[in-house]
Parts: sequence; C-alpha cells; structure tokens
Amino acid sequence: MESQNSEQVLSLVASANTKGKHRILAELKRLEQEARILEEELDQIKKMEKASPACKELLVDVESRPDPLLPITDGPAVPAWDRWFERLQDPTGCGCWLC
Amino acid sequence: MSVTELKERHLAATQTVNSLRQQLNQKRLLLLDTDVAGYSRAQNKLPVTFTPTDLVCCRTLQGHSGKVYSLDWTPEKNRIVSASQDGRLIVWNALTSQKTHAIKLPCPWVMTCAFSPSGQSVACGGLDSICSIFNLNSSMDKDGNVPVSRMLSGHKGYVSSCQYVPDEDTHLITSSGDHTCILWDITTGLRTSVFGGEFQSGHTADVLSVSINGSNSRLFVSGSCDATARLWDTRVASRAVRTFYGHEGDVSSVKYFPDGNRFGTGSEDGTCRLFDIRTGHQLQVYNQPNSDSDFAQVTSIAFSVSGRLLFAGYANGDCYVWDTLLAQVVLNLGSLHNSHEGRISCLGLSADGSALCTGSWDSNLKIWAFGGHRKMT
Repeated sequence: MESQNSEQVLSLVASANTKGKHRILAELKRLEQEARILEEELDQIKKMEKASPACKELLVDVESRPDPLLPITDGPAVPAWDRWFERLQDPTGCGCWLC
Repeated sequence: MSVTELKERHLAATQTVNSLRQQLNQKRLLLLDTDVAGYSRAQNKLPVTFTPTDLVCCRTLQGHSGKVYSLDWTPEKNRIVSASQDGRLIVWNALTSQKTHAIKLPCPWVMTCAFSPSGQSVACGGLDSICSIFNLNSSMDKDGNVPVSRMLSGHKGYVSSCQYVPDEDTHLITSSGDHTCILWDITTGLRTSVFGGEFQSGHTADVLSVSINGSNSRLFVSGSCDATARLWDTRVASRAVRTFYGHEGDVSSVKYFPDGNRFGTGSEDGTCRLFDIRTGHQLQVYNQPNSDSDFAQVTSIAFSVSGRLLFAGYANGDCYVWDTLLAQVVLNLGSLHNSHEGRISCLGLSADGSALCTGSWDSNLKIWAFGGHRKMT
C-alpha cells in the first residue's frame, strides 16, 4: 500500500515537472522569436527616417479635411452637418414604441 | 535538457530581449527630432478655440438601467447601438432619440458592441467569451426578443472589443482576455485567423481594444494590458507587423487616425499617444494637465473626421477635447452644462463627423454637435 502511494506521488511529481518543462520551453521559444523580431527591427531602424517628415505629412493631411466640429474649416459647408439642431417633424411625441 | 538548464536559458533569453529593446529605444529616441506639437508650433499654427456654446449636448438618450459600456454608430444614417450593464443592447435613432430595438442578451455581462456596415446586424461580446450576432430584421421569438443569428465561439477569455471589417457584413475582428485577436467568418461561424496566442508571437496579456484601418481593411491595431499596441496584417497571423512601446500601463483604447497612416492610443497611465505606422515613431504624447500628482485613466478615445480633434474619456468623468496638432486641451465636455454625471466609458463619431456620442456609467448616452458659428475657408 505504502509503495503504491509513493509510486503515485512520484508519478504526479514527474507529471508536474513535465508540464513545467513544457511551459518553460514554450516561453523560451516565444522569447527567442521576439529576439529575432527585435534584431530585424534594429536592422530596419538604420534606414528609418526621422519623425519630422511624418509630422509634416500629418499636418498637411489634417488641414485638408473638412471637419464639422471645428469652428474654422475648409468649405463648402454641408447642410446635413446642422441636422442636429433642426426641428424634428414630429415634436409632439417621442414615438418610442417602448413607452 | 533539465528544468534547471531550461530556466537558465530562459533567463539568458529574457536578458537578451531586454537588451535588444533598450538598444531599439535608444536608436528611436535619436530619430525623434520633433513631435507633432513642436513641428506645428514651428509652423505658427494657432490652437483651436471654442466659445462656451460651440460644442453642445443636443440629445440625451435615456433608456438603459445600468452603466453604458460600449457604443457604435452605423456607417450611414443616424443610428447607434449601445451595450449596458443592464444586459441589453439598445438601437437608437440618434436624430429622433427613438429606440428601435431593445435586445435582451443571453449573457448579461456584455462589454462591447458593433454595428455591421450595412446596418442590418449588430454584434456584441463579453464575459461569456462569445461574440453574438443579431439580425435586426429578424422576427422576434416567443418571448419578444430578437434571436441570436450566430454565435462566434472560440475565445478562451472575455471578448473585450469587436469591430466589423469595413464594407463586409461577413467578417469581424474581436479582441480578448485570452491575449488574442480573431478574424471571424460570420457566415460559417469559424475563425479565419487567430492573432497571437500560445504558439504565436503576439500580446502577452489581455487585449482590450481593436481598430481596423478604414482604407485598408487588411490592417488593424490592437491595444493590450501588456502596455503595447500592435499592428497586424490579416494575411499574416503568425506575428505582428510592428509593436509600439511607450505606454506605462494597460492600453485600453486604440483608434486609427483618419489618414490611415497613424493611430491613437489611450491608457491606464493617463496619457494618450499618437504613433506613426510606417516608422513606428511615437509622434506625440497627450499628458493630462496637472498630471504630476494624480491622473485619471483613459477609458476611450476617438478622432474627429479631420483628425484635428482627439476626444478622450477619463475614469474621473472628464472628457477632454485635445487639439491634436498643438497637444493642448481646448475643451472639457465633462465640465459643460448638461454633461454626464459619471465616468464616460465609450465614445464615437458619426460617419460624417458632425456628431460625437458619449456613453457613461450614469446609464445615458449624449450627442454633442457644433452649434456655434462656423467659418468656412
């Protein structure tokens, strides 16, 4: 009986060790892959341009797009932008079928 | 190889990765010759200025009986779907404030919702780890509920965010607490691709948010509790195209910039940031005013249709309107008359950019629009 129990305990420990080993291996593989990706990025960054061209591009793009929420924006105005302030056709009831 | 040997190799690999990251950060810093605000100031750009009555709350949508967690506009017309702690989705006509559908969900623990591009379906997901699809044109079941038309099962953790692929009612992307994002084929209910996870390079913690590129729907960004945002190409699920570092806490919200070449992030660290997709550069940090001592977490972000304004909801009830070019707060919707009485948990712009909808823990949604004098140039 005792030897059976200790065999079971040993088997459980071995099983736990194997699971722990697999977990560490999977994590190790993930780290090694991440290292490869970081090395690739380090290679790319040698040819990377600075931030200012992207800032310039962004500014030009933003200023070219009409924006209904801005006080000053490129035209022409679109009448539908102001629909939120128009009087609704049926102001007397909310028309909600849940009421 | 023994466990001890494996652990040693693991430690060495960790040190290698940390060293490589540090080198990359240093090289990136050398390339940051300016940020957006510095460049804009050098070009003598003037900040956006609002009078007190320019941006006004023009609708309050009342109907939920619990915190609002998520909202989404239709690409056309004026409809919004919202998801709440009360276990319901409500579909609203934002112009008339009418509720057109109130959908009682099979699982009440909903976290996200989305409208399909055609406006005929809505999707939602939450703690049940399932993304459920409802066809708004289908007949009610015997209990008066809209039946589920498809259940997308496969995530091993909660569904935090979902978005339909633009112009396709048949595909959507979800993000999850299981560290992955999934591209789904709704017609079959099957996973087309899994991004990240146990056997692939990807996020190392819960993914909280996704945003799909409006002009190139093969690209999407995700934000995670691992403090990074990642860019993915749906054709390559095995690894992210690029990982964006900088935040010091969970990235709770990501949103593509209107030009498709940049994206914004909002984080638990209290900041919003703007990243450039092609170079990976962090172009701007949006730090809350008076943030030295105490800062509130960012819950949700959205850009105005030009990108000039960044709307950011915070856990303390503030909703800052940032001038993205000059990195200045130009308005706080949370302090305006008739604003929400609780945290703003979600926000989104209408398709034409003429209205912002905010959803709050006070159970309401509000519509904000420009009611002042608009000058056209």
